Amino acid sequence: MLPLKLERVTKQYGDYTAVNAISFEVSSGEIYGLLGANGAGKTTTMRMVLGLIYPDDGSIRWNGKPWYKELNRIMGYLPEERGLYPKVKICDQIEYLARLRGVSAQDAKKNLKWWLERFEVPDYYDRKVEELSKGNQQKIQFIAAVIHRPQILVLDEAFSGLDPVNVEMLKDVVKELRDEGAAILFSTHRMEHVEELCRNITVLHRSNTVLQGNLKEIKKSFPREYVVLATELPVSGLEQIPGVREVRQHENAYEIRISHPEIAQKILMHAMDQGDVLKFELREPTLNEIFIKAVGGERE
Amino acid sequence: MKDLMTVIGFTFGNKVRTKSFKVTTAILVILAILAAHIPFFAQLFSGDDEPAVIGVFQDDRGIAVMLQRQADAQDPKPFDVLLVEDPGSDDERLEQMRTGVEEGNVKGYVLFVEQPESAFPMAVYYSDGNLGQGLRSSLTQTLGQVKNEMLLRELNLTQEQSRQLFMPISLETERLDEEGAAREAEKDPMEELVDYILVYIMIVALFMGIMITGQFIASEITTEKSSRIMEIIVTSVAPLTQMFGKIIGMMMVGLLQIILLGAAIFFSFVLPHNREAVAAIDIDLGSVDPLLIIYFIVFYFLGYFLYATLFAAVGSIVSRMEDLGQAVMPMTFLVLGAFYIGIFGINTPEAPFVVAMSYVPFFSPMAMFMRIGVSDPAWWEVALSLGILALSILLFGWLSAKIYRVGVLMYGKRPNLKELRRAMKAYKV
Repeated sequence: MLPLKLERVTKQYGDYTAVNAISFEVSSGEIYGLLGANGAGKTTTMRMVLGLIYPDDGSIRWNGKPWYKELNRIMGYLPEERGLYPKVKICDQIEYLARLRGVSAQDAKKNLKWWLERFEVPDYYDRKVEELSKGNQQKIQFIAAVIHRPQILVLDEAFSGLDPVNVEMLKDVVKELRDEGAAILFSTHRMEHVEELCRNITVLHRSNTVLQGNLKEIKKSFPREYVVLATELPVSGLEQIPGVREVRQHENAYEIRISHPEIAQKILMHAMDQGDVLKFELREPTLNEIFIKAVGGERE
Repeated sequence: MKDLMTVIGFTFGNKVRTKSFKVTTAILVILAILAAHIPFFAQLFSGDDEPAVIGVFQDDRGIAVMLQRQADAQDPKPFDVLLVEDPGSDDERLEQMRTGVEEGNVKGYVLFVEQPESAFPMAVYYSDGNLGQGLRSSLTQTLGQVKNEMLLRELNLTQEQSRQLFMPISLETERLDEEGAAREAEKDPMEELVDYILVYIMIVALFMGIMITGQFIASEITTEKSSRIMEIIVTSVAPLTQMFGKIIGMMMVGLLQIILLGAAIFFSFVLPHNREAVAAIDIDLGSVDPLLIIYFIVFYFLGYFLYATLFAAVGSIVSRMEDLGQAVMPMTFLVLGAFYIGIFGINTPEAPFVVAMSYVPFFSPMAMFMRIGVSDPAWWEVALSLGILALSILLFGWLSAKIYRVGVLMYGKRPNLKELRRAMKAYKV
């Protein structure tokens, strides 16, 4: 049974449609990417998934059932706007949040200690949140979301505001939770994280679903438009080859945008005529390029 | 239910541990202890106060001697009369007064000056300072007695006649009960005074309880909203559970404060040095009607819940601390209105306006309680007032819960009534 399934879910605020007929499903052990520019409807979708607001139309099923009260025991939420009690000791507030989600005080303490060890900050146990740096507050916030080992985890911009070392640490933890079987709904602007973590994605644009499906298939469905070429000597006349749209010269290589994949071979021939080719690749489009293509053009 | 207890425990525990709570409670306790010591201090400063010595120049008619006798006859003695021989000339008299006052053993001098149009001479008081209210009234009063005595002597009244003349007027109060039969008032003046004071204190306590804890509730909720932890809380626990957990938790904080204050006052009173002073003011705490205490507790809880739910609703629609003061303003006016009706109504508990207000939910906790304390409303009046109050708690509790459910997730500018109503519909709560 699917932990989370949305069918044609719509939410309207007055005359404004915040989310229009979105459908997707998240299975256990999967990180599902929810992508979109600011104001595309991600947060509204997540709030509906959390049961904070009710959809006007369509249906959401948690473990195959409509909303039921005990859901707060199995769901975890990391909101985009971070918030904890600044003046309350970390052990007190995490214990409080854990108990509200049905964890005993004893287990909450034990789990908190385990998580603090995991994040290499065991001495934060009885510190106050306001004494911590922003990055470390993020870790505590993350612990608050997962202290009860949720089955369904909603992460809104999980890695924003973290330094690269901490991003890696948190990413590893998210992967661990996935491998333990959690169904994770993940939203971000950072496409490289999506490429690394997500199997399936939905791209929202102005309340509408503009792109959806398996990440690999989506990538395959988009034509390969870039050739990466590295040579011993500079290559001249690349721009003159028909079908070449743009040539960008990087430090060690050229990046050439082409109109059709067939042009790639012509470029290779052209380069080989002039000298040794060190590297040649007709590369997949990056998610970033796909995103901009799906959303772009009509960006404000 | 378990969640409710968790929220109550967390709210209570955190509030009690904050520095601001500790400091305000400590200040209140110290003030209460000081207030409880007022009788003691009063006794301390007045106890060994010797009556002032007043020099009185002797006159031909013996008024000075009579003044001395009247003053000595009073208990406590208002002042000591020192009879002084009149030297006759103004200069000598002034010289004598100046040395007397400067030496410090005489506070001032009284000289009688005959007035042609009055049978009694005018008294002139000489001193280097002010006469002072207390001394002025006791001097006037004692002189009045001297004057009466003189006139009586001239009239040659019998002892019986003069006794009758000075017998105080007796005024008794009787009350007509429902059957129309006159019966003696149940409360003697002392009991009435105790009730009066008690009602006063309790109305102030109710006012403070509602104002302080109400503000606490509203600001706690706004803080949770502005720090965005609300987002996590509302996904962890049903908003209503959270709201009522907060209200009950804060009520316990308020009760703790009241208990601490009560204990501070009680222990101050039983301290040995205070016992005497308290006994001296002669208020019998045993004459407090236990029913009044029960009514106080009932009205305290009902009043608290009515206001607390509204404070919670107000706190939930504000997203920034800066806006909270303005948003709770209407509530503040309501509480203040109830407070003033209660306080000013004490003197006219049966005025139509006060009676009417004792049925209006927001004012009834104080107005009806005050009427019970200092007047004698019929049982059905009390029951009606309580019934209306209980019903309005349900109504406003329900309304506040709806507003709260919607409000906690609304950020940005404070929603107006129309937006709130639309949101309530949209949320299907």
